[in-house]
Amino acid sequence: MQDNLFETTALALQLLFSFDPDLWDIIGVSFRVSLTAIAIATLPAALVGFLLAMLDFKGRTAVIAIFNALMAAPTVVVGLTLYLLLSRSGPFGDFHLLFTQPAMVIGQVALAFPLLVCMSHSAFQAIDKRAWETARTLGANCCMAVITIMREARFALLAAVVAAFGRIISEVGCSMMIGGNIMGYTRNIPTAIALETSKGMFAQGIALGLVLLLLALLLNVTLVSVRGKGRLV
Amino acid sequence: MNLELNATNLIKRFGARQLFSIDTLNLKEGDSIHLNGDNGVGKTTLMKVLAGLDKPCEGQVSVTPAKRKLWSSNLHPRVIYLHQSPYIFSGTVRENLAYGLKLRGSSRQQTNDAVDKALSWSRLEPLAHQQAYSLSGGEKQRLALARAWVLNPGLLFLDEPTANLDKKSVQNVAELVADLQNCGTAIMVSSHQSNPVTELCKQNMLLTGGQLKKNVVNEALYA
Ligand SMILES: Nc1ncnc2c1ncn2[C@@H]1O[C@H](COP(=O)(O)OP(=O)(O)OP(=O)(O)O)[C@@H](O)[C@H]1O
Ligand SMILES: [Mg+2]
Repeated sequence: MQDNLFETTALALQLLFSFDPDLWDIIGVSFRVSLTAIAIATLPAALVGFLLAMLDFKGRTAVIAIFNALMAAPTVVVGLTLYLLLSRSGPFGDFHLLFTQPAMVIGQVALAFPLLVCMSHSAFQAIDKRAWETARTLGANCCMAVITIMREARFALLAAVVAAFGRIISEVGCSMMIGGNIMGYTRNIPTAIALETSKGMFAQGIALGLVLLLLALLLNVTLVSVRGKGRLV
Repeated sequence: MNLELNATNLIKRFGARQLFSIDTLNLKEGDSIHLNGDNGVGKTTLMKVLAGLDKPCEGQVSVTPAKRKLWSSNLHPRVIYLHQSPYIFSGTVRENLAYGLKLRGSSRQQTNDAVDKALSWSRLEPLAHQQAYSLSGGEKQRLALARAWVLNPGLLFLDEPTANLDKKSVQNVAELVADLQNCGTAIMVSSHQSNPVTELCKQNMLLTGGQLKKNVVNEALYA
């Protein structure tokens, strides 16, 4: 078994560095889908987080509680919900989105959004109300003042984006259910790992797993290194 | 050209509690007012309402001549409020000074020139490239004053500008405020005690029991 593990790992590395087209295709799908999802979700979610931190309206705590609950929603449940919505007989069936990359993007936006809202909400909460007032009194219109506040909270916002990206690029439930794991189209890293392992072929799984681990390391090292410059004052 | 602020029938409540009710208040260029009152009577709240940062529950504040831009309806670009402990944006001292100028669409050259002047005005030149959060309390207060000064304000609200400052810093701040006054900026300084900055003021107002009493001379205060 030990020999076997070494052998498979060696094979995995060989797959990676020989630029095995199938393998890199899968990695490409993962990044394309997850980066698109993050790009779509970040700004609106940050705005919602900002409004939750700034405005005092009835039901504000309820909204916050709901986003917190959604943040913890199992990915398969999100997948199931979207499956029902997007399937032929569902309300959005006419768009024929099920088992496409756009469907995966929708799923990952749905997964990333609550996390981004909650984390950006606490990022903005940590910013002093004086920051907003100072910006406004020095002549910033609301839009510019929001940008100023985002700049003040940039490290915490970056942490939110990294956390959300980490969640969606490694989730398997939602992608499997609404992506369908179609080779060359909707098969991404986590669904490929699940499939290969179930077939008893570990090399590709290990190779893809290594990519995910490396990515996690890289993202967090980047985060820590930029944060180092934004020490507590 | 001359800036004038008029407030009528201002009422501010928090929940059921009424903080103040003010029939009329007029501030114009050349005025200098010491706003006096005990802790918690609502000096900060009143100044924020006048500066457009907070909304009154009733009544209105109008500044003439009105500015052209319609969207920032309750804030006038020449009316500036300074917090008791100033908020300093992340970035260098220079970047803080340039903040308002950039918003007003000044060119790079104009901004740099104005920032240079502001640095020498507030004697912060040696600290120009320092991260602003690392300034001392007195330096931050000077930076906040200079950040407003570059924008050539017509009316400046100073909320307890000398709280937590030592004698020398208070003196420095007083000099800067005197200079602003000489440039024609109307100022309103809140403080619950007399100090070199409030001594620059020609008028005195007392906020007490929800009422604003104008031109009271508080003997105890100036004894
Ligand atoms: N957002 C708010 N919600 C409820 N109450 C508030 C709010 N802001 C201020 N208050 C209350 O209004 C009162 C006046 O506050 P304010 O800060 O204006 O007093 P102040 O005269 O500036 O006092 P100090 O001299 O201590 O600075 C305080 O009792 C405060 O608790
Ligand atoms: Mg106060």
